[in-house]
Amino acid sequence: MSNQPFRVVILGGGTAGWMAATALASMLPRQRYSVTLVESEAIGIVGVGEATLPQMKNFNDLLAIDEAEMMRSTRATFKLGIDFVDWGFVGSSYVHPFGIHGPGATGLAFHQRWLRTVSAGRDWSIEDFSFAVAAARANRFEFPRDGTAINSTYSYAYHFDASLYAAYLRGVAEARGVTRVEGKVRDVEQDEMSGEIRALLLESGVRVDGEFFVDCSGFRSLLLSGKLGVEWDDWSRWLPCDRALPVPTERCGELTPYTRVTAMKAGWRWRIPLQHRTGNGYVFSSRFIDEEKAREELLASLDEPLLAEPRLLKFEAGRRVRSWERNCVALGLSSGFLEPLESTSIYLVQIAIMHLVELFPTGKIDPRLVAEFNRRMDLEYDRIRDFLILHYHLNSRDDSELWRYCRGMDVPQSLEQKIELFRHSGYIEDYRHGLFNAPSWLSVFLGQGLTPEHHHPLADAVPVARLENELDRLRTEIEDRVDEMPKHATFLARYAEAHEATEAALHKAEARL
Amino acid sequence: MTRRVETVAVVGRDAALWLAAAAVQRSLGAAGVRVVAVELPSWLNAVDCYSTLPSLASMHRLLGIDEAKMLEAASGVPVAAQRFSNWSKGAAPFFLAYDDEPPPSGDLPFSQYWLKGHKEGLRVGLEDFSLGCACAKLGRVPVATGDGGELSASYGYSLDASIYAEALKQLASKRGIVSSSGKIADVTLKGDCIRSIELDDGTRIEADLFIDASGAERVLMMKMPGAKFERWKDQFGCDRIITASAAPLKSLPAFSQISAFRGGWVGLYPLRDRTAVVAVYASDVVSDHSMPGELPLLARMAVSGEAVVAEIKPGMLERPWIGNCVAVGDAAIALEPVDAAQLHVAQGCISHLIAVFPATADEMPEASAYNKSMRSFAGNIRDFALAHYVLNRRFDELFWDKAREAEVPATLRQKLDLFAARGTVAIGDDETFSDQNWTLLMLGAGVEPDGYDPRIDLLPDEPQIEKVQQRLRAVSQLARQMPSVDQFVGRTEQLQAAGVV
Repeated sequence: MSNQPFRVVILGGGTAGWMAATALASMLPRQRYSVTLVESEAIGIVGVGEATLPQMKNFNDLLAIDEAEMMRSTRATFKLGIDFVDWGFVGSSYVHPFGIHGPGATGLAFHQRWLRTVSAGRDWSIEDFSFAVAAARANRFEFPRDGTAINSTYSYAYHFDASLYAAYLRGVAEARGVTRVEGKVRDVEQDEMSGEIRALLLESGVRVDGEFFVDCSGFRSLLLSGKLGVEWDDWSRWLPCDRALPVPTERCGELTPYTRVTAMKAGWRWRIPLQHRTGNGYVFSSRFIDEEKAREELLASLDEPLLAEPRLLKFEAGRRVRSWERNCVALGLSSGFLEPLESTSIYLVQIAIMHLVELFPTGKIDPRLVAEFNRRMDLEYDRIRDFLILHYHLNSRDDSELWRYCRGMDVPQSLEQKIELFRHSGYIEDYRHGLFNAPSWLSVFLGQGLTPEHHHPLADAVPVARLENELDRLRTEIEDRVDEMPKHATFLARYAEAHEATEAALHKAEARL
Repeated sequence: MTRRVETVAVVGRDAALWLAAAAVQRSLGAAGVRVVAVELPSWLNAVDCYSTLPSLASMHRLLGIDEAKMLEAASGVPVAAQRFSNWSKGAAPFFLAYDDEPPPSGDLPFSQYWLKGHKEGLRVGLEDFSLGCACAKLGRVPVATGDGGELSASYGYSLDASIYAEALKQLASKRGIVSSSGKIADVTLKGDCIRSIELDDGTRIEADLFIDASGAERVLMMKMPGAKFERWKDQFGCDRIITASAAPLKSLPAFSQISAFRGGWVGLYPLRDRTAVVAVYASDVVSDHSMPGELPLLARMAVSGEAVVAEIKPGMLERPWIGNCVAVGDAAIALEPVDAAQLHVAQGCISHLIAVFPATADEMPEASAYNKSMRSFAGNIRDFALAHYVLNRRFDELFWDKAREAEVPATLRQKLDLFAARGTVAIGDDETFSDQNWTLLMLGAGVEPDGYDPRIDLLPDEPQIEKVQQRLRAVSQLARQMPSVDQFVGRTEQLQAAGVV
């Protein structure tokens, strides 16, 4: 490698762009790489999702980001899982927790032992045995412990204001040497021979040269799609929602340590508690409801007073068939979109960054590394896609067309087999890579109303009375331990609440918008 | 009303039969599952040897088998590594050991530090940073010490096959597993399920689930509707195995020796009372007629008694579970023994069968989960074996030229490409061999990665050099504390008594 630094140019300063900038500036050796981010203040950001997954904490830790400071800056709250209301059927509620069910014993899966007691007549929910669910439902929070105790069996994520997160990261990234260039892209210069991108030409006349480009331009996908023409793979036949109406409301009374997502007639509605406000929104399918009606349904369903009017976002479920093409990688919305039902948007940015850093070019683009990156991202997207489809497909709602359609639609074969195996004997395949492992599948399978017909024969190897005793003790232990935890709001106020004055000012400013 | 699986009939021979029967009974006996075994005539000869991966120890633990006793009974010897020679002309032999390196948390794999050092002139090979390899070179066994910090390694075994299988049979019988022996005279099917089997003495056996552990005969599976054996003929050119015995080695090495020659490879597996000599070869390069005469020359050891030749057909059943019949071991997945994975395959099949054991006797959708996992499990082991051949550098020998040019599965292509570019390995689901195993194999075969992970340069050179040197010292020190193989098997005293040393 020559002494000239390898120039990395990031296009777009939303969540994805600043996450990439921070990570690349922190994880690539500075003597060899320079990182420039081009963004325009004239372009708004979508601010993908306000809820995250526990991997977010690893990302922040890896980049040596101070958690309390980040949480204060982004008005963040803690998240232990997602409460799914009315999904399997109207009136139902289940929590998909960031944690396991049971004490984490080895050998036979805990839920098989639970199934055995249920088939012997015990009427208790799998949720009774999840520490994270119990804590979430009690609105309590504290950090998980190390070791094997029952309060070590969960992890946590954050709800935050994504635009504040991007702004926070900008500060970090700039302090770590990232150059920010203000401006709109007028044209993109490509090498005639190789088709590689050479430079971004800005409206101001500034030219930004680079050896490698990261497309974080959002839905427009300016480089990957616009310039390099990578095709779109449409997943709307399985994930029919294509509109969202986000709307902020005032801070909620009891600060829940979980996201709530409520199934609606033509989609679903989120509710995300932040320190200074509550994020809400209706994700719906324009095939099954028009915008006006959706707006009405949304406004009628809000718990807190409005802080602004809903604004419409349009999208399509699917992804670019390759995220890395030539000398350009797309991250976030420019590479694909999956609805934020399981808070996967920011995760997908994060995991793409992690794979990218590992496979980062050191000079000429190596097609073997490109193939490896794309292989890994295929796996990530496919597994998340199947998991999302599960929520829609596995329902017994009969009150609207969307739910009937989803129940009857053909799903990917990989998913069909998973459902069939769980239905028969509660078997859940586990895998090494990819998001959402067995405990996640378990909570959604059961929560959506699918109870296995049989349990694993290994669960018959101990007398059922002994299993019942074990489970009884476990449930009591969880209840007792959760009772001792501080309330989420109390814990948060102590740990990372934004200064009251700042908060009040911000609150007022937003109310005026 | 659905019925649970109450009776399991395991039909097969040798170690796979008894491992399957004993493991199912041990796991599910308490849940009311009764296991019966049908022993087909053994295919083992007195010269045969099982050479195993470290994973067998966990099967032994499940079955309550005492390692020391088993090794003593079966003339067994611990194997810290396999040593590969002549796979690339002119290149030094290399070791494949079984280090248990924990995934580095927040750090890059050590091999990346080594790779950078190597690019900058470090002369020491990666194997000197592997506890298993260092032990193998010193003739020592990497036993658990508790003071190795992050350094630890496991070992496999070489076992006298007939004695080992017989010991497993006795164990099964002690555990109350009823067995009969004979040949299968008839299999009665209803739809795609076996109702009963009949032995040549007229005995009829009914069961809810049948396990086929009959090796390449696939005595039950080939009766199942739609059963098909997929042969990996284009990838594995060797179609014969010859086995013989030679004198025991005076001082037991801690490795098996696998040497390539013009038509395949020859393996030396030290046992306590003899040395097993095996050659796997292509019959169109070396004739069956001439092989017995060539064997001592290839092995560089005098071979005693008869050598036994058998046909081998690497491949697997497209669906190793059809209806109520499940194949395990060689019956499901047949490999040549280059990586000592034969019993590991049996063990993998058996463990997975227990993990997806059918919940009912009438309907077994678990088959699809088993078939899917077994395909990727088999594919990964096949890829590892295939990598030895594909990466050979024996130019101008027809057999080896063809092996180098063979089309490789996409899964292996991905590993070879990533390693050639970056020196890293991405381990997926159902993998037997770790990234350290793959790294040792590919480096040993002479692959020189083009670059390394750019993050390695985040750390300044000096601490990196210190890290590398520190590890080299630690490995070498720890390896020297390990017992020699002779000490491990308690032979030193006997040899001393006999005046040999």
